[in-house]
Amino acid sequence: MRLKEGSFLWYLYLDKIHCLLSVRNVKALAEYFHILDVHGKNTLNDVLFYHFLHHVTDLKKAQIYLVFDMLDWNAVGEIGFEQFYMLVCMLLAHQDHLEGQFMYRHSRPVFDLLDLNGDGQISAENFGKYRFLFNIHKQELKDLFHDFGLTGDNLLNYQEFKLYTIIYADKLQRRQKTEEKEKGDRKRSLYSKRKCHIK
Amino acid sequence: MEEKPSKVSLKSSDRHDSDKESVHSDIRDLWTRTTLSQAQLNMPLSEVCEGFNAEGRSISKTRRWYSPGSRSLDEGDKASHKPEELDEHALVELELHRGSSMEINLGEKDTASQIQAEKSSSMSSLNIAKHTPHRAYWAEQQSRLPLPLMELIKNEALEILTKALRSYQSGIGRDHFLTKELQRYIEGLKKRPSKRLYVN
Repeated sequence: MRLKEGSFLWYLYLDKIHCLLSVRNVKALAEYFHILDVHGKNTLNDVLFYHFLHHVTDLKKAQIYLVFDMLDWNAVGEIGFEQFYMLVCMLLAHQDHLEGQFMYRHSRPVFDLLDLNGDGQISAENFGKYRFLFNIHKQELKDLFHDFGLTGDNLLNYQEFKLYTIIYADKLQRRQKTEEKEKGDRKRSLYSKRKCHIK
Repeated sequence: MEEKPSKVSLKSSDRHDSDKESVHSDIRDLWTRTTLSQAQLNMPLSEVCEGFNAEGRSISKTRRWYSPGSRSLDEGDKASHKPEELDEHALVELELHRGSSMEINLGEKDTASQIQAEKSSSMSSLNIAKHTPHRAYWAEQQSRLPLPLMELIKNEALEILTKALRSYQSGIGRDHFLTKELQRYIEGLKKRPSKRLYVN
Protein backbone atom coordinates (compact mmCIF):
# COMPACT_ATOMS: atom_id res chain seq x y z
CA MET A 1 0.00 0.00 0.00
CA ARG A 2 1.48 3.32 -1.08
CA LEU A 3 0.40 6.91 -0.94
CA LYS A 4 0.23 8.65 -4.29
CA GLU A 5 3.23 10.93 -4.71
CA GLY A 6 2.27 14.58 -4.81
CA SER A 7 -1.12 14.06 -3.17
CA PHE A 8 -2.02 16.19 -0.18
CA LEU A 9 -1.50 13.37 2.31
CA TRP A 10 1.93 12.74 0.89
CA TYR A 11 3.06 16.05 2.33
CA LEU A 12 1.94 15.25 5.86
CA TYR A 13 4.01 13.32 8.34
CA LEU A 14 3.62 11.77 11.76
CA ASP A 15 5.63 12.58 14.82
CA LYS A 16 7.96 9.57 15.07
CA ILE A 17 7.54 9.11 18.79
CA HIS A 18 3.82 9.62 19.33
CA CYS A 19 2.75 8.72 15.80
CA LEU A 20 0.27 11.56 15.62
CA LEU A 21 -0.11 14.60 13.41
CA SER A 22 0.84 18.06 14.60
CA VAL A 23 -1.95 20.53 15.33
CA ARG A 24 -1.19 22.43 12.14
CA ASN A 25 -1.37 19.25 10.09
CA VAL A 26 -4.64 18.35 11.75
CA LYS A 27 -6.06 21.74 10.86
CA ALA A 28 -5.06 21.27 7.24
CA LEU A 29 -6.53 17.78 7.26
CA ALA A 30 -9.75 19.13 8.76
CA GLU A 31 -9.97 21.65 5.94
CA TYR A 32 -9.42 18.85 3.41
CA PHE A 33 -12.14 16.77 5.04
CA HIS A 34 -14.46 19.74 5.13
CA ILE A 35 -14.03 20.31 1.39
CA LEU A 36 -14.80 16.65 0.69
CA ASP A 37 -17.89 16.84 2.91
CA VAL A 38 -20.16 17.65 0.02
CA HIS A 39 -23.50 17.21 1.77
CA GLY A 40 -22.60 19.25 4.83
CA LYS A 41 -22.99 16.45 7.36
CA ASN A 42 -19.39 16.36 8.62
CA THR A 43 -19.14 12.86 7.18
CA LEU A 44 -18.07 11.05 4.04
CA ASN A 45 -20.38 8.43 2.62
CA ASP A 46 -19.07 5.21 1.06
CA VAL A 47 -18.87 6.64 -2.48
CA LEU A 48 -16.90 9.72 -1.46
CA PHE A 49 -14.70 7.61 0.80
CA TYR A 50 -14.01 5.13 -1.98
CA HIS A 51 -12.99 7.81 -4.47
CA PHE A 52 -10.84 9.58 -1.88
CA LEU A 53 -8.92 6.44 -0.96
CA HIS A 54 -8.73 5.30 -4.56
CA HIS A 55 -7.24 8.66 -5.50
CA VAL A 56 -4.60 8.87 -2.80
CA THR A 57 -3.50 5.21 -2.49
CA ASP A 58 -3.02 2.15 -4.67
CA LEU A 59 -5.51 0.05 -2.70
CA LYS A 60 -7.92 -2.18 -4.59
CA LYS A 61 -11.69 -1.76 -4.47
CA ALA A 62 -12.19 -4.72 -2.15
CA GLN A 63 -9.55 -3.43 0.24
CA ILE A 64 -11.07 0.06 0.26
CA TYR A 65 -14.50 -1.30 1.19
CA LEU A 66 -12.94 -3.46 3.88
CA VAL A 67 -11.33 -0.36 5.36
CA PHE A 68 -14.63 1.49 5.17
CA ASP A 69 -16.43 -1.31 7.02
CA MET A 70 -13.72 -1.32 9.66
CA LEU A 71 -13.92 2.44 10.22
CA ASP A 72 -17.69 2.62 10.14
CA TRP A 73 -17.78 1.29 13.66
CA ASN A 74 -21.28 2.65 14.29
CA ALA A 75 -22.56 1.04 11.09
CA VAL A 76 -24.19 4.25 9.89
CA GLY A 77 -22.73 4.07 6.40
CA GLU A 78 -20.65 7.21 6.87
CA ILE A 79 -17.21 8.13 8.17
CA GLY A 80 -16.71 11.05 10.52
CA PHE A 81 -13.58 13.12 10.98
CA GLU A 82 -12.40 11.04 13.93
CA GLN A 83 -12.31 7.88 11.83
CA PHE A 84 -10.83 9.81 8.91
CA TYR A 85 -8.01 11.07 11.12
CA MET A 86 -7.33 7.55 12.38
CA LEU A 87 -7.14 6.29 8.80
CA VAL A 88 -4.76 9.03 7.73
CA CYS A 89 -2.48 8.24 10.67
CA MET A 90 -2.46 4.56 9.68
CA LEU A 91 -1.66 5.43 6.07
CA LEU A 92 1.15 7.74 7.09
CA ALA A 93 2.51 5.21 9.58
CA HIS A 94 2.62 2.66 6.78
CA GLN A 95 4.25 5.11 4.40
CA ASP A 96 6.92 6.14 6.92
CA HIS A 97 7.58 2.57 8.12
CA LEU A 98 6.23 3.34 11.58
CA GLU A 99 3.64 0.55 11.68
CA GLY A 100 5.18 -1.11 14.71
CA GLN A 101 5.53 2.13 16.62
CA PHE A 102 2.00 3.13 15.65
CA MET A 103 0.48 -0.13 16.88
CA TYR A 104 2.49 0.10 20.09
CA ARG A 105 1.51 3.70 20.78
CA HIS A 106 -2.15 3.27 19.86
CA SER A 107 -2.70 -0.36 20.72
CA ARG A 108 -6.14 0.20 22.23
CA PRO A 109 -7.76 1.99 19.27
CA VAL A 110 -6.11 -0.40 16.82
CA PHE A 111 -7.36 -3.37 18.83
CA ASP A 112 -10.86 -1.92 18.93
CA LEU A 113 -10.79 -1.42 15.17
CA LEU A 114 -9.70 -5.00 14.50
CA ASP A 115 -12.21 -6.39 17.00
CA LEU A 116 -14.94 -6.31 14.38
CA ASN A 117 -17.66 -8.00 16.37
CA GLY A 118 -16.89 -6.21 19.64
CA ASP A 119 -16.34 -9.31 21.75
CA GLY A 120 -13.01 -8.16 23.09
CA GLN A 121 -11.00 -10.56 20.93
CA ILE A 122 -9.39 -10.50 17.51
CA SER A 123 -9.61 -13.61 15.40
CA ALA A 124 -6.81 -14.70 13.10
CA GLU A 125 -9.18 -14.49 10.15
CA ASN A 126 -10.12 -10.89 10.82
CA PHE A 127 -6.59 -9.80 11.52
CA GLY A 128 -5.57 -11.51 8.29
CA LYS A 129 -8.02 -9.36 6.31
CA TYR A 130 -6.42 -6.16 7.55
CA ARG A 131 -2.75 -7.10 7.76
CA PHE A 132 -2.09 -5.05 4.59
CA LEU A 133 -2.69 -1.90 6.65
CA PHE A 134 0.11 -2.73 9.03
CA ASN A 135 2.50 -4.41 6.60
CA ILE A 136 2.35 -7.76 8.41
CA HIS A 137 3.30 -10.77 6.33
CA LYS A 138 1.22 -13.95 6.33
CA GLN A 139 3.86 -15.97 8.14
CA GLU A 140 4.36 -13.21 10.71
CA LEU A 141 0.64 -13.30 11.44
CA LYS A 142 0.75 -17.09 11.95
CA ASP A 143 3.71 -16.70 14.29
CA LEU A 144 1.87 -13.94 16.14
CA PHE A 145 -1.08 -16.15 17.01
CA HIS A 146 1.21 -19.04 17.78
CA ASP A 147 3.50 -17.06 20.10
CA PHE A 148 1.09 -14.64 21.71
CA GLY A 149 -2.27 -16.43 21.61
CA LEU A 150 -1.63 -17.93 25.05
CA THR A 151 -5.14 -19.29 25.38
CA GLY A 152 -4.54 -21.36 22.25
CA ASP A 153 -7.90 -20.66 20.65
CA ASN A 154 -6.60 -18.63 17.72
CA LEU A 155 -7.94 -15.47 19.34
CA LEU A 156 -6.09 -12.53 20.81
CA ASN A 157 -7.39 -10.57 23.76
CA TYR A 158 -6.12 -7.06 24.44
CA GLN A 159 -3.30 -8.05 26.81
CA GLU A 160 -1.91 -10.54 24.32
CA PHE A 161 -2.20 -7.99 21.54
CA LYS A 162 -0.44 -5.34 23.62
CA LEU A 163 2.41 -7.72 24.38
CA TYR A 164 2.70 -8.47 20.70
CA THR A 165 2.90 -4.75 19.78
CA ILE A 166 5.72 -4.19 22.29
CA ILE A 167 7.82 -7.00 20.91
CA TYR A 168 6.92 -6.31 17.29
CA ALA A 169 7.88 -2.64 17.58
CA ASP A 170 11.19 -3.64 19.14
CA LYS A 171 11.82 -6.24 16.45
CA LEU A 172 11.03 -3.77 13.67
CA GLN A 173 13.32 -1.18 15.17
CA ARG A 174 16.19 -3.67 15.34
CA ARG A 175 15.49 -4.79 11.80
CA GLN A 176 15.54 -1.22 10.55
CA LYS A 177 18.79 -0.50 12.38
CA THR A 178 20.38 -3.61 10.87
CA GLU A 179 19.20 -2.61 7.41
CA GLU A 180 20.56 0.89 7.86
CA LYS A 181 23.87 -0.48 9.10
CA GLU A 182 24.12 -2.83 6.12
CA LYS A 183 23.29 0.05 3.81
CA GLY A 184 26.00 2.16 5.37
CA ASP A 185 28.53 -0.69 5.14
CA ARG A 186 27.71 -1.23 1.49
CA LYS A 187 28.15 2.46 0.73
CA ARG A 188 31.46 2.54 2.56
CA SER A 189 32.78 -0.52 0.77
CA LEU A 190 31.67 0.93 -2.57
CA TYR A 191 33.38 4.20 -1.77
CA SER A 192 36.62 2.49 -0.71
CA LYS A 193 36.54 0.36 -3.89
CA ARG A 194 36.19 3.46 -6.01
CA LYS A 195 39.01 5.12 -4.15
CA CYS A 196 41.30 2.15 -4.77
CA HIS A 197 40.27 2.08 -8.42
CA ILE A 198 41.09 5.76 -8.91
CA LYS A 199 44.52 5.30 -7.32
CA MET B 1 13.08 3.99 21.02
CA GLU B 2 13.19 7.61 22.18
CA GLU B 3 14.28 10.17 19.62
CA LYS B 4 14.63 13.91 19.95
CA PRO B 5 11.62 15.63 18.44
CA SER B 6 13.90 18.13 16.72
CA LYS B 7 15.17 15.35 14.48
CA VAL B 8 11.70 14.21 13.51
CA SER B 9 10.90 16.81 10.92
CA LEU B 10 14.33 16.48 9.34
CA LYS B 11 14.44 12.69 9.26
CA SER B 12 10.88 12.16 8.19
CA SER B 13 11.39 14.56 5.33
CA ASP B 14 13.60 11.96 3.61
CA ARG B 15 10.62 11.10 1.48
CA HIS B 16 10.31 14.73 0.56
CA ASP B 17 14.00 15.14 -0.25
CA SER B 18 13.78 12.74 -3.11
CA ASP B 19 11.43 15.00 -5.06
CA LYS B 20 12.40 16.61 -8.31
CA GLU B 21 12.30 20.38 -8.64
CA SER B 22 8.69 21.33 -9.12
CA VAL B 23 5.98 23.65 -7.91
CA HIS B 24 5.14 21.06 -5.26
CA SER B 25 8.65 21.32 -3.83
CA ASP B 26 7.86 24.96 -3.02
CA ILE B 27 4.72 23.88 -1.20
CA ARG B 28 6.71 21.27 0.66
CA ASP B 29 9.37 23.76 1.68
CA LEU B 30 6.84 26.31 2.81
CA TRP B 31 4.66 23.87 4.68
CA THR B 32 6.75 21.16 6.25
CA ARG B 33 9.85 23.25 6.94
CA THR B 34 8.36 26.62 7.68
CA THR B 35 9.25 26.45 11.36
CA LEU B 36 12.85 25.60 10.55
CA SER B 37 13.24 28.74 8.50
CA GLN B 38 12.10 31.11 11.17
CA ALA B 39 14.57 33.09 13.20
CA GLN B 40 13.13 32.47 16.63
CA LEU B 41 12.38 28.76 16.69
CA ASN B 42 11.99 28.25 20.38
CA MET B 43 9.90 31.28 21.13
CA PRO B 44 6.34 30.31 22.04
CA LEU B 45 3.68 31.99 19.97
CA SER B 46 2.21 33.61 23.08
CA GLU B 47 5.46 35.45 23.68
CA VAL B 48 5.61 36.63 20.11
CA CYS B 49 2.02 37.82 20.21
CA GLU B 50 1.93 39.36 23.67
CA GLY B 51 3.21 42.71 22.56
CA PHE B 52 0.83 43.04 19.64
CA ASN B 53 -2.88 43.39 19.22
CA ALA B 54 -4.92 41.87 16.37
CA GLU B 55 -3.83 44.60 13.97
CA GLY B 56 -0.19 43.98 14.63
CA ARG B 57 0.29 47.20 16.58
CA SER B 58 2.43 47.21 19.63
CA ILE B 59 0.51 47.56 22.85
CA SER B 60 3.36 47.16 25.25
CA LYS B 61 3.78 50.13 27.56
CA THR B 62 7.02 48.97 29.05
CA ARG B 63 8.92 48.95 25.84
CA ARG B 64 10.22 52.40 25.07
CA TRP B 65 11.91 52.73 21.73
CA TYR B 66 12.14 56.46 22.04
CA SER B 67 11.75 58.88 24.91
CA PRO B 68 10.98 62.51 24.13
CA GLY B 69 13.82 64.90 24.79
CA SER B 70 16.52 62.33 24.66
CA ARG B 71 18.25 60.95 21.68
CA SER B 72 20.36 57.94 21.68
CA LEU B 73 21.55 58.69 18.21
CA ASP B 74 22.73 61.80 16.47
CA GLU B 75 20.16 62.52 13.80
CA GLY B 76 22.59 64.45 11.64
CA ASP B 77 24.97 61.55 11.36
CA LYS B 78 22.18 59.14 10.61
CA ALA B 79 20.52 61.31 8.00
CA SER B 80 23.69 61.28 5.94
CA HIS B 81 23.80 57.50 5.85
CA LYS B 82 21.90 55.35 3.43
CA PRO B 83 19.18 53.23 5.13
CA GLU B 84 20.94 50.02 4.20
CA GLU B 85 23.97 51.03 6.19
CA LEU B 86 22.02 51.56 9.39
CA ASP B 87 21.03 48.79 11.70
CA GLU B 88 17.43 48.21 12.72
CA HIS B 89 17.56 50.17 15.94
CA ALA B 90 19.10 53.18 14.27
CA LEU B 91 16.50 53.15 11.53
CA VAL B 92 13.70 53.06 14.06
CA GLU B 93 15.22 55.88 16.06
CA LEU B 94 15.61 58.00 12.98
CA GLU B 95 12.12 57.42 11.70
CA LEU B 96 10.55 58.03 15.06
CA HIS B 97 12.40 61.26 15.50
CA ARG B 98 11.31 62.44 12.06
CA GLY B 99 7.74 61.39 12.81
CA SER B 100 7.61 63.09 16.15
CA SER B 101 9.09 66.30 14.81
CA MET B 102 6.14 66.63 12.44
CA GLU B 103 3.63 66.48 15.27
CA ILE B 104 1.98 69.83 16.04
CA ASN B 105 0.49 69.13 19.41
CA LEU B 106 1.89 66.53 21.68
CA GLY B 107 0.01 67.77 24.71
CA GLU B 108 0.95 67.55 28.32
CA LYS B 109 -0.67 64.20 28.92
CA ASP B 110 1.34 61.07 29.17
CA THR B 111 2.11 60.65 25.47
CA ALA B 112 3.72 57.28 25.91
CA SER B 113 0.71 55.41 24.52
CA GLN B 114 0.38 57.90 21.64
CA ILE B 115 4.04 57.60 20.87
CA GLN B 116 3.73 53.81 21.01
CA ALA B 117 0.95 53.96 18.40
CA GLU B 118 3.08 56.28 16.26
CA LYS B 119 6.03 54.00 16.66
CA SER B 120 4.15 50.92 15.57
CA SER B 121 2.75 52.66 12.50
CA SER B 122 6.17 54.08 11.73
CA MET B 123 7.72 50.72 12.14
CA SER B 124 5.31 49.13 9.71
CA SER B 125 6.16 51.72 7.07
CA LEU B 126 9.86 51.07 7.26
CA ASN B 127 11.74 48.57 5.19
CA ILE B 128 13.01 46.87 8.29
CA ALA B 129 11.52 43.63 6.97
CA LYS B 130 14.34 43.61 4.48
CA HIS B 131 16.80 43.26 7.29
CA THR B 132 14.82 41.77 10.19
CA PRO B 133 11.40 40.10 9.89
CA HIS B 134 8.67 41.90 11.79
CA ARG B 135 7.45 39.90 14.75
CA ALA B 136 3.80 40.47 13.99
CA TYR B 137 4.41 39.26 10.44
CA TRP B 138 5.90 36.02 11.68
CA ALA B 139 3.16 35.62 14.26
CA GLU B 140 0.63 35.92 11.48
CA GLN B 141 2.55 33.55 9.23
CA GLN B 142 2.58 30.96 11.98
CA SER B 143 -1.20 30.89 12.11
CA ARG B 144 -1.91 30.60 8.37
CA LEU B 145 -1.61 27.82 5.89
CA PRO B 146 0.38 28.60 2.77
CA LEU B 147 -1.69 29.41 -0.28
CA PRO B 148 -0.08 26.75 -2.48
CA LEU B 149 -1.23 24.15 0.03
CA MET B 150 -4.80 25.42 -0.16
CA GLU B 151 -4.62 25.22 -3.94
CA LEU B 152 -3.37 21.66 -3.72
CA ILE B 153 -6.20 20.69 -1.36
CA LYS B 154 -8.80 22.32 -3.56
CA ASN B 155 -7.53 20.80 -6.83
CA GLU B 156 -7.25 17.34 -5.35
CA ALA B 157 -10.74 17.58 -3.85
CA LEU B 158 -12.08 18.64 -7.24
CA GLU B 159 -10.57 15.59 -8.91
CA ILE B 160 -12.00 13.27 -6.28
CA LEU B 161 -15.44 14.83 -6.35
CA THR B 162 -15.61 14.82 -10.15
CA LYS B 163 -15.06 11.07 -10.14
CA ALA B 164 -17.58 10.71 -7.32
CA LEU B 165 -20.11 12.61 -9.42
CA ARG B 166 -19.82 10.03 -12.18
CA SER B 167 -20.49 7.29 -9.63
CA TYR B 168 -23.51 9.19 -8.33
CA GLN B 169 -24.86 9.63 -11.87
CA SER B 170 -24.44 5.98 -12.73
CA GLY B 171 -25.54 4.71 -9.32
CA ILE B 172 -28.51 6.87 -8.35
CA GLY B 173 -29.20 8.77 -11.56
CA ARG B 174 -28.64 12.32 -12.76
CA ASP B 175 -31.94 13.59 -11.38
CA HIS B 176 -31.40 12.48 -7.81
CA PHE B 177 -31.12 15.39 -5.39
CA LEU B 178 -27.78 14.16 -4.05
CA THR B 179 -26.34 14.12 -7.57
CA LYS B 180 -27.56 17.64 -8.23
CA GLU B 181 -26.22 18.78 -4.88
CA LEU B 182 -22.80 17.36 -5.69
CA GLN B 183 -22.85 18.93 -9.14
CA ARG B 184 -23.67 22.35 -7.71
CA TYR B 185 -21.00 21.92 -5.07
CA ILE B 186 -18.34 21.12 -7.67
CA GLU B 187 -19.29 24.13 -9.74
CA GLY B 188 -19.17 26.32 -6.67
CA LEU B 189 -15.80 24.95 -5.70
CA LYS B 190 -14.38 25.69 -9.14
CA LYS B 191 -15.52 29.27 -8.98
CA ARG B 192 -14.44 29.81 -5.40
CA PRO B 193 -11.10 31.66 -5.09
CA SER B 194 -8.62 30.04 -2.75
CA LYS B 195 -8.63 31.65 0.65
CA ARG B 196 -6.04 31.09 3.28
CA LEU B 197 -7.13 29.16 6.29
CA TYR B 198 -6.36 30.53 9.69
CA VAL B 199 -4.93 28.02 12.09
CA ASN B 200 -5.66 29.20 15.61
